[in-house]
Amino acid sequence: MTEASAPPAEPTPPWLRQDTAAGLVVIAVAAFALWQGAALTAGSLGAIGAGMLPRALAILFGGLGLVLLVTAMTTDGERLQRWSLRGPIMILAAVITFGLSVRPVGLAVAGPLTVIVGAAASPETRWSETLIFSVVMTTFCVLLFKFALGLAIPLAPWLVGY
Amino acid sequence: MDLVANLGLGFATAFSPINLALCFTGCLVGTLIGVLPGVGPIATIAMLMPLTFKVDPTGALIMLAGIYYGAQYGGSTTAILINIPGEATSVVTALDGHEMAKRGQAGVALGTAAIASFLAGTVATLVIAAIGAPLTKLALLFGPAEYFGLMLLGLTLAVVLARGSVLKAIIMIVFGVLLATVGTDLETGEDRLTLGLDSLSDGIDFAVLAMGVFGIAEVMRNLDAPETRDVVRASIGRLLPSWADLRRCAGPMLRGTGLGAALGILPGNGAVLAPFASYTLEKKLADDPRRFGKGAIEGVAGPEAANNAGAQTAFIPLLTLGIPPNAVMALMVGAMTIHGVIPGPQVMTKNPSLFWGMIASMWIGNLMLLVINLPLVGLWVRLLRVPYRLMFPAILLFCCIGIYSINNNPADVFFTAFFGFVGYALIKFGLEPAPMLLGFVLGRLLEEKMRQALVLSRGSLMTFVERPVSAGLLLAAAVILVIALLPAVRRGREDAFQE
Repeated sequence: MTEASAPPAEPTPPWLRQDTAAGLVVIAVAAFALWQGAALTAGSLGAIGAGMLPRALAILFGGLGLVLLVTAMTTDGERLQRWSLRGPIMILAAVITFGLSVRPVGLAVAGPLTVIVGAAASPETRWSETLIFSVVMTTFCVLLFKFALGLAIPLAPWLVGY
Repeated sequence: MDLVANLGLGFATAFSPINLALCFTGCLVGTLIGVLPGVGPIATIAMLMPLTFKVDPTGALIMLAGIYYGAQYGGSTTAILINIPGEATSVVTALDGHEMAKRGQAGVALGTAAIASFLAGTVATLVIAAIGAPLTKLALLFGPAEYFGLMLLGLTLAVVLARGSVLKAIIMIVFGVLLATVGTDLETGEDRLTLGLDSLSDGIDFAVLAMGVFGIAEVMRNLDAPETRDVVRASIGRLLPSWADLRRCAGPMLRGTGLGAALGILPGNGAVLAPFASYTLEKKLADDPRRFGKGAIEGVAGPEAANNAGAQTAFIPLLTLGIPPNAVMALMVGAMTIHGVIPGPQVMTKNPSLFWGMIASMWIGNLMLLVINLPLVGLWVRLLRVPYRLMFPAILLFCCIGIYSINNNPADVFFTAFFGFVGYALIKFGLEPAPMLLGFVLGRLLEEKMRQALVLSRGSLMTFVERPVSAGLLLAAAVILVIALLPAVRRGREDAFQE
């Protein structure tokens, strides 16, 4: 963290600065919120409608984003960090896999699947180890959450019916 | 005396065998999950919340509080042993604690942290018990306008206390409040910004948002950085600090406790500042400030006491006013609501055994941490040697099971994934997620109180400045914001966080 805040030797080009990107994204999100809330009535201060706060906040949000953007364009700042793809994508895939599979096939299958898909996020993963680990972790979770705590999470509907 | 009678009731509740067992389990599993690197108290509580579902409300809150202290203590353990602070407040502990660990004094550092936490917890429990009742009476006098002013003051404080740029902190708070407006309108019943999704008409679930930005996103971020965990190889050494160490720590612990207890009461997550303030103070008071950062035991004792005292007095705004001062307390609101308890001044009058039982259990929880954690240090060390390539899939699985179990709804899992991505993006854009969470937490309450106040005043904004208390709170908020924006103070604030 400390190295990053030290001033870079050469100024970062304005469009590569972290805050430039942040400002643009903030403005885009604000515009999206305004568009989504466009149909809602604002009402008056005495009888506030559903749309007043979302709209007011979106305008404030976008305005602040604009200030951030202008500041970033005019003063030097940190460069936008590199985004990795493999990690985030596989992590998201693992979570989504869990969400998709937990109802139809239950924790007994969703558990190992989540661990295995998630493990693909790291280049350091050793597959044989992960396979064993996924079974061990799932067994542990089933014992803890299903049997010890009695949560309503499906176990293996195709096998045991719940 | 009222206080004694109330605490008596509390201890009678908390000392029932079942509640003791719940408190113990909470502390233990809280520490177990909290020790995992990159899993802070927020993610820990969100993950473990389903554990409490089958328990009665009092027991559930006692257990949750136990999980919270366990997670806090687990974070300190991780900070000392492997220099990865689970959250902002243990950053300071890592400075000197990890240096001590490298010199073979990990045991003493952990022991000192535990003793400091226990001392701070004891004092903080008394503080809560003593000022809880009077503050509750005060809260009953507050109208919507005053609540609105108080929350705005809290948000302003959060801006000042956030790390990094003031502008970005304000942006994140506004974003949080904007996210809070998603869902059915309180009065008209119309869907707002729900993108036509049914699962959004109840609004965004706080646990889902918190788990996304603090659980899933944290895993993504940790994977970005190559594994640089230096688990202490040196021996842990003895656990109990020597008499001389203790004497040296007594002052820092007491001062840290005082600072933490006072800052924790503030409605805008003042607890975050406490360890930093304590560290700076001890460094100023020390005979030889150069020892700090190189394994000074005072640098562990003071901030740990401050951290724990602040973590505990943060319950005060929640229990007396119903305003959660930080994200952890917001999760507590969620958990309380699931059990049919609405946090606020009514809890103490309507449900005294729950209120005082929880307060008494805070002290018991701190005692248990002292008793269970010191013997278990070896276990935590072994747990921390597990490589991250195995740890993170396990963390993912716990997150998924935890989130699914809150509502038994797969949609929650998908939204968690989405907010995990949002959290990752925020990190990459240099935007701190913590103020966003606070904005989200207070957003709905802020809107509700503002609209109530405006209905009462027939649409006149003057109501906020005509009522003296509300005007005072708003004025304080404005003054704080202006001061935070002054260039001189801005520089000083950056220095304070650089430490």
